[in-house]
Amino acid sequence: MREIILFVLGVLAVVVLLMAVVGQHHSQDGKHHHHKIGHKHGEGFVIDMHAYASKIRGWNPTFKVSLATVLLILCIALNNPYVSVAVLIAMAYLTMVKGGLSVNEYLSVLMIPIAFILLGTLAIAIEFSFDPIGQYHLHCGFFYIYTSQEKLKEMIFLILKVFAAVSALQMMTLSTPSSEIISVMRKAHVPKLIIELMNIIYRYIFILLDVYSKMKNSADSRQGYCDFKTSCYTFGGIAGNMLIISLKKANAYYDAMEARCYDGEIIFLEEEKKFEINQIIMAVIFVAVLFLLWGFTK
Amino acid sequence: MKLSEKRIITLVAAFALVFGVYPVANAMHIMEGYLPVQYCIVWGVVCLPFLVRGYFSIKKVVSQNRKSITLFAMVGAYIFIISSLKIPSVTGSCSHMTGTGLGAILFGPTAVSILGLIVLIFQAILLAHGGLTTLGANTFSMAIAGPLVSYGIYILCKKVKVNKRVGIFLAASIGDLFTYCVTSFQLAAAYPSDNGGITASFLKFLGVFAPTQIPLAIIEGILTVVIMIMLESYATSELIDIGYLKGEINNVKVK
Repeated sequence: MREIILFVLGVLAVVVLLMAVVGQHHSQDGKHHHHKIGHKHGEGFVIDMHAYASKIRGWNPTFKVSLATVLLILCIALNNPYVSVAVLIAMAYLTMVKGGLSVNEYLSVLMIPIAFILLGTLAIAIEFSFDPIGQYHLHCGFFYIYTSQEKLKEMIFLILKVFAAVSALQMMTLSTPSSEIISVMRKAHVPKLIIELMNIIYRYIFILLDVYSKMKNSADSRQGYCDFKTSCYTFGGIAGNMLIISLKKANAYYDAMEARCYDGEIIFLEEEKKFEINQIIMAVIFVAVLFLLWGFTK
Repeated sequence: MKLSEKRIITLVAAFALVFGVYPVANAMHIMEGYLPVQYCIVWGVVCLPFLVRGYFSIKKVVSQNRKSITLFAMVGAYIFIISSLKIPSVTGSCSHMTGTGLGAILFGPTAVSILGLIVLIFQAILLAHGGLTTLGANTFSMAIAGPLVSYGIYILCKKVKVNKRVGIFLAASIGDLFTYCVTSFQLAAAYPSDNGGITASFLKFLGVFAPTQIPLAIIEGILTVVIMIMLESYATSELIDIGYLKGEINNVKVK
């Protein structure tokens, strides 16, 4: 039974990857972008950009957010490697094939937490001892590092689970702009003050980012980052200046808001995005399949 | 060479390879899916009293003076940006400040709890740092425990009249180290070691993250001092506005 499930999951993974690669090939129309997989920070936020460009942005945000939440909870609650792999494949399918994100870009976003995952799982897998015990051990001077097949298995399963959960979260963030996620939170009755703060903070982040990149450019062109000590001073200077500027702006923005009849509540125009019955049925079937997988391999 | 030795060497080689490619230092957000369900819930519940207190204090200030909402929002955005900036580092790796130590010194720990929660949500959504199921654990370590310790040390240093710069440095870096200890404890509690239990596991997590977190804490301390010197020399009136020179954001007086 387990072999069959494993085989089916493997085939599905290959199919999704092929579909994503083929889809990417078609949509490239002559332009060639080279993207390195890895942890990187540009001046903007890559995920936010992808969210606006996603082909599944038109799906109902409440649906996407609830799907991601349900899958997240299932991933950690069922704690089953087969479920994790199924979620990983399904989310890759949604994000790359349906959402039209290229394989490289998807992997580079997925790999952001890699350092934490490796360090964290390594700490779980290895043990220290003064005696040569355990299935595999390595002698280091006066102590031993040891581990066992069990532990390594646990480590691999944990990595799978984390990646599945991360991919479920990123299915949501790579296809739903933050303003829509906030509006879903408003519908879920998160306190009004927090929603208000989130809405304004989201907008201010980009304003401050703009201020920062200007300051950084002018500092850079004046040799502000020539060595470590200067870099520290430059960084401190920029950070301090940014606080002053942001406080000034906060005053000005309040006046601007009040001039436009702000009375303690900001209401945004939201695009109406209908629930698609097909999508909901598919989601329910998928969740049922996850439960079945869990039941068979428990 | 025995089979087990071969395996270990392969494992170590893979490890070295991965770290050669990904020199990342800010790895203290607990990732999505890492904690079992019961720990997600427990840490969320532990955060609640602090968050409720922060919520009411912000609400009170906003209802007294509605103009302060843009101020709070700016402060939130500021903490987010500070924590997403690449800081200067010796090794060329990509690391970030937590920014909460600075926030706690400037605005007080009460306001930072709610703003920290929002910042963590945005970090999960926009930067893929941390996650929604681990939000409770991350909020506790980064937006509650760290800032409280930073603020406490800052006040203590002020009381016993230590040099102000030394006080700020200690507050920021010890707050950062405390965040790292709390996170290690959270990880250890969720994944105790087979022999030795939580304590052994705690030590393992501390050890694994120490090479990245200890230099980071020191750099964060230095940068916070540089920022505060800069602010005190150029922005005294703004600092009085946000209540820094009195200690708490509750005393906000907008001109």
